Amino acid sequence: MSADASDLSLVRRVQRGDKGAFDALVLKYQHKLVKLVMRYVRNPAEAEDIAQEAFIKAYRALPQFRGDSAFYTWLYRIAINTAKNAVVSRDRSPIEYDLDRNSEESYDMQGRMKDSETPEGLVLTEEIRSTVNAAIDALPEDLRTAIVLRELEGLSYEEIAAAMACPVGTVRSRIFRAREAIDRRLREVFEGGLGRAEELG
Amino acid sequence: MNEELDSQLSAMFDDELAPEECELLARRLSRDEQLKARWGRYAVIGAAIRSERGVLNAALAGRVSAVILAEPALAAAQGARRAPARWWQPLAGAAVAVGVAVGSVLWLRAQAPFTAAPPSAQLTATVSVPAAALLPAAAAGAADSYVVPRAPAVRAMVPSTELANYVVAHSVFSSPVGRRNLLSAFMASESGTAAEEPPVEPEGNVR
Amino acid sequence: MSASERFIALTLAWTVAGAALAGEASPESAPAHKTSPDQAPAQKTSPESAPAQKTSPESAPAQKTSPESAPAQWLERMNRALTTRNYDGTFSHWHGGQVEMLRIIHRVQDGTVSERLASLDGSGREFIRAGPSLTCYLPDKRTVLVEQRPPQESLVGFPAVNDQTASFYDIREVTHTRLNRRDTHVITVSPKDEYRYGYRLWIDDSTAMPLKTQLCDRRGHVIEQIVFASLTLPAHIPDSAFKPDVSTAGFQWLRNESGPPAPAAATLAWNAMRLPPGFRMAARSAQTLPGSADPVDHLVFTDGLASVSVFVEAQRRGQADQPAVPESAAVGSSSAFSTVIDGHKITAVGEVPPDTVRFIASQLKAEEPAAVSSRRR
Repeated sequence: MSADASDLSLVRRVQRGDKGAFDALVLKYQHKLVKLVMRYVRNPAEAEDIAQEAFIKAYRALPQFRGDSAFYTWLYRIAINTAKNAVVSRDRSPIEYDLDRNSEESYDMQGRMKDSETPEGLVLTEEIRSTVNAAIDALPEDLRTAIVLRELEGLSYEEIAAAMACPVGTVRSRIFRAREAIDRRLREVFEGGLGRAEELG
Repeated sequence: MNEELDSQLSAMFDDELAPEECELLARRLSRDEQLKARWGRYAVIGAAIRSERGVLNAALAGRVSAVILAEPALAAAQGARRAPARWWQPLAGAAVAVGVAVGSVLWLRAQAPFTAAPPSAQLTATVSVPAAALLPAAAAGAADSYVVPRAPAVRAMVPSTELANYVVAHSVFSSPVGRRNLLSAFMASESGTAAEEPPVEPEGNVR
Repeated sequence: MSASERFIALTLAWTVAGAALAGEASPESAPAHKTSPDQAPAQKTSPESAPAQKTSPESAPAQKTSPESAPAQWLERMNRALTTRNYDGTFSHWHGGQVEMLRIIHRVQDGTVSERLASLDGSGREFIRAGPSLTCYLPDKRTVLVEQRPPQESLVGFPAVNDQTASFYDIREVTHTRLNRRDTHVITVSPKDEYRYGYRLWIDDSTAMPLKTQLCDRRGHVIEQIVFASLTLPAHIPDSAFKPDVSTAGFQWLRNESGPPAPAAATLAWNAMRLPPGFRMAARSAQTLPGSADPVDHLVFTDGLASVSVFVEAQRRGQADQPAVPESAAVGSSSAFSTVIDGHKITAVGEVPPDTVRFIASQLKAEEPAAVSSRRR
């Protein structure tokens, strides 16, 4: 059964010392994990922190992962524990500061803003969302159906093949081509000005 | 290029690729920044389609990557000694990664037109990283695999008194922001708290 | 979480903004933008003025009335706020995987600047400025450095953003966002080459204080970050706020000689044969450094944003036989480089990448003796 072969191949590489392979796992699951953690904490910045901690814990515990369960299931449990612990220990005393009676302006940092919420990050989210949506609308129908069934409904290629009455190979091809079409537009967003120097050459 | 091969990444992302092919692709994926970037974008596409809340970039992945890079490789945890003995020298990939930051996303940069090099190479030799900076905050169970760094190299972070003089004399001529950075760094010392990524909370403890 | 703003890329009408800045900021025009007392009056008017000023009183008349002024104007306002207002805050400083908390207290009163920067963690170091006197308490070295600056330097002009600067940095307002419940303008300053750093600044809309500052390399990686945890802008700060917490019993005190050094000192005038693009000499003086009576030539080069000091000292007796090994050092993101040229020790320090200080230091050469003191401040 090749279920989870993808994750396992990466996990095994990490266990043998290949850190780059862990990046791939993080990239794949980061959104899912943040979404999961947000069931426990409302604040997205905090959720990201917890997700980050969960990933790092998972990395360190990876030598003990045997493949009895799917990697994501194992990761999921770590994330839930981390989130629960964070919520429990979250009671921090507020930052003290002196309020000068004569002060004209004062403020106090109680919220947090994670660096992923750099302005570029926030702006990027909207750009990405609208770019992806526009790209999907522009897809030929068979490609659009395939990618939506995969990403939104979570169907396997076989299930999609049955739903679309076509071979599995065609499903694979359609999903790939849909992603490539969307990705072409997405790359423009990332390479567009973010205040970075690359574009200036 | 052949679509069969090209579509492998997409298939592997969906866990629809044969195990043998996964093994091969996994190897390429871990080393190839472009491929990794594409993989990351596949994840973003999925999240966007599902209208998931949260920020749609990979800053998180970048942060995790930076932390992981500073840790000993897992093989080391099982006994094999590795590079840690040379932390005090700026090593590409290891030492420098702690300077890798956050807003700049690990895999986004792979798309920058003139940059093909992996992130670590770009930072080589530009920052002298003090030995203490490379200690991860709480190495659960792996503490015994660390080697205490030897005396810091010439590139000491703590300025000598002579350098202190220059810093102070120069500070008068810096821009206000530059001056604050300079003097703050000067005030700080090796006893600062380890923080792999720039924190927002003022507390010294990060993790 | 704040709304996600549309990405704004302002195409800077640079000549307009630059001209306005040059007019309003005053330190510009001549390359020597330094320590003239004329600046004092201009800057004194702002601190005690009306609270929550959205635009500084010195806004150039020709400019826009809306808050969406040119990004460079935000930099200007920020610089003005940092140098002329009273403030008291704590901030975190992150660099090289270490974070440290510091406190800063800054006061401008009767034309005199008082400042105190103290480490709240570990080192216990403090830097205190009272008018022309700079004192550095280094408890970890059981040393105190005291440097007297010339009196008219009290309100020194900072490097100012000007037309030149725009050629080497791309300054943009990336977005307008809320940072910890304050409205901020996020300004990015991207260097166009490898000789300088970039910045991302979260500038408070109402006070123009930089609530968060990131110093970045050319690719946008954050090398250093400063974030205020608390900040107040009090109308009055007592003198007691500028006393150190350090007990100095048994410490070594190193002072410099105040007053101009012996004439025998600067028989040679030094200059850099080449400079990185955009850099030019902004100041030149002779002084002594704490702990030594030897005269030191102090040259300052700047590109409008970053500045580099070069110190030239005749090698002390006994040092001549030491090999001239170039030495690099880092103070946070700032760099220092030291080498020996023609029997003189050359040290360059600045908020620039290491290669830049190395470049500048290596270019130093003694000019003809005749060309000496004409450029002295």
